[in-house]
Amino acid sequence: MRATYGKSLPSIHLDDLGGKLIVIEGTDGAGRSTQINLLKLWLEELGHAVVDTGMTRPPLAGEGIRRAKEGNNLGRVTQTLFYATDFVDRLENEIVPALRAGFIVLTDRYIYSLMARAIVRGMDPQWIRSIYSVALKPDAIFYLRLDIDQLLPRVVFTRGFDYWESGMDLYPGQDMYDSFCNYQTALLAEFDRLSSEFNFEVVNAAPDANTVCEHLKKDILRLLEKDSRKTFITKQHSELMARLSIKLEERPAVKPNTVRVTDPFPAATSAVVHASNGNGHHVVQPK
Amino acid sequence: MELGSGVRIGPFEVLAPLQPAVSRIRQSGEHHFPGRLIVVEGIDGSGKSTQLSLLHKWLESKGYGVVFSEWNSSPLVKDTTKYGKKKKMLTPATFSLIHSTDFADRTERSILPLLKAGAVVLCDRYVYTAFARDVARGMDREWVRELYGFAVKPAIAFYFRVPLEIAIHRLLDGRDGFKFYEAGMDLNLSDDSVESFRMFQGRILEEYEKMIPECGLTVVDATLPIEVQQAQVRQIVKTHLDRARELRVRP
Repeated sequence: MRATYGKSLPSIHLDDLGGKLIVIEGTDGAGRSTQINLLKLWLEELGHAVVDTGMTRPPLAGEGIRRAKEGNNLGRVTQTLFYATDFVDRLENEIVPALRAGFIVLTDRYIYSLMARAIVRGMDPQWIRSIYSVALKPDAIFYLRLDIDQLLPRVVFTRGFDYWESGMDLYPGQDMYDSFCNYQTALLAEFDRLSSEFNFEVVNAAPDANTVCEHLKKDILRLLEKDSRKTFITKQHSELMARLSIKLEERPAVKPNTVRVTDPFPAATSAVVHASNGNGHHVVQPK
Repeated sequence: MELGSGVRIGPFEVLAPLQPAVSRIRQSGEHHFPGRLIVVEGIDGSGKSTQLSLLHKWLESKGYGVVFSEWNSSPLVKDTTKYGKKKKMLTPATFSLIHSTDFADRTERSILPLLKAGAVVLCDRYVYTAFARDVARGMDREWVRELYGFAVKPAIAFYFRVPLEIAIHRLLDGRDGFKFYEAGMDLNLSDDSVESFRMFQGRILEEYEKMIPECGLTVVDATLPIEVQQAQVRQIVKTHLDRARELRVRP
């Protein structure tokens, strides 16, 4: 039976939740939404009903959060609880009904991003864990991991710096570049800490999107195989799994900064290769 | 590099100036600010708001800097709450969380800074309202208390105790029904709003009774005449202000 991280909600009956809850975590620019789009298509081709959810299109609190973030007067405890409200709203109204109906739920971030952001902003880690103890334990948590020097060009050369992504509320007076490096470095460290606590499946997000996706597919197939209730999976999936494993092993090790046609951020990667003669590391080293 | 509480990232202090205070309050809720926090609690129709408003006028006439803060009134959050209530989309959990968000904003924006500045802060409803209502809606008792772990502990928390039937009589004396969430209609206790109100508020009363010893609520018999209650309230408030003369606003 499905479990939570400690506390249950009156609205959720854990025993009638089938489906699979698959979380894709990662910092800004790690390629989460690209992967979710690829996985959704693939799972649907295999005949699974898939729901994808994100952390920014909420019915209850989204508008309020958006407006609050426009101003400069959103306190940190308030911000933390506003996000928690939004999360639980989504849990109860998107995730749980889909699981009950037997869907595979692919979620773009989950409690871990929210926890990392709050902890980096100085909130008490135990307090945060207690709030999110009502969350369902996912079937799998994939953490698309990038180092700060791999992450930076993806963000900078695609959509530019964003006030909140750069943690400008934490480092007033710094420019966006310095602030971004400090903030994202802190987030990565916190993610690494959460990773061992919550058993993340850490996926190197540096290679091109298809390589990352094949890694994910392999793990997801293994997860679906374990589920005896979904009898139609068995043979087709076993074959696919065998094929994928072979493919992955045969694939040569991917060099960082290699530009591929399928790279989700081709402009970003090539820009770095260019600007730093193939070695972007020292350019973006955080202070 | 170290993260989490108490923490620096590189040369930069990560914590907000507020955070150490919030963190300290988490332990016990105690504070050592020059201000005084006084809150009133009780079910709808207990007369607590009337009593608080009389106390407010008295304190002002005595020359104190008095600030009033009402439950569910954060300019940043209340539109979301209103929207959720109007669309009837709040569950016990989101009802609880959105109210804690509202309370957090008022704590960060006004209650805490004003206590530091030495004001007498008067709150119409406080965390005990959430403890009672959310638990009556089926939320975990311990979880709700932890959720409000950042709250400042009041100097005095008055609980205006009134029998349910008297409260209902007072409330229905000027209108002909109850609002959806006020009556706990979201819990499907009864299709009739008065009956639902009675059942829901009955649960809330039980929670308040348990909190009297747990949270040290100061009980006022809310069936007594208004003047008698107010005299009792002022008497108790006075003892807390005697030790805080510096609160007086000098002309």
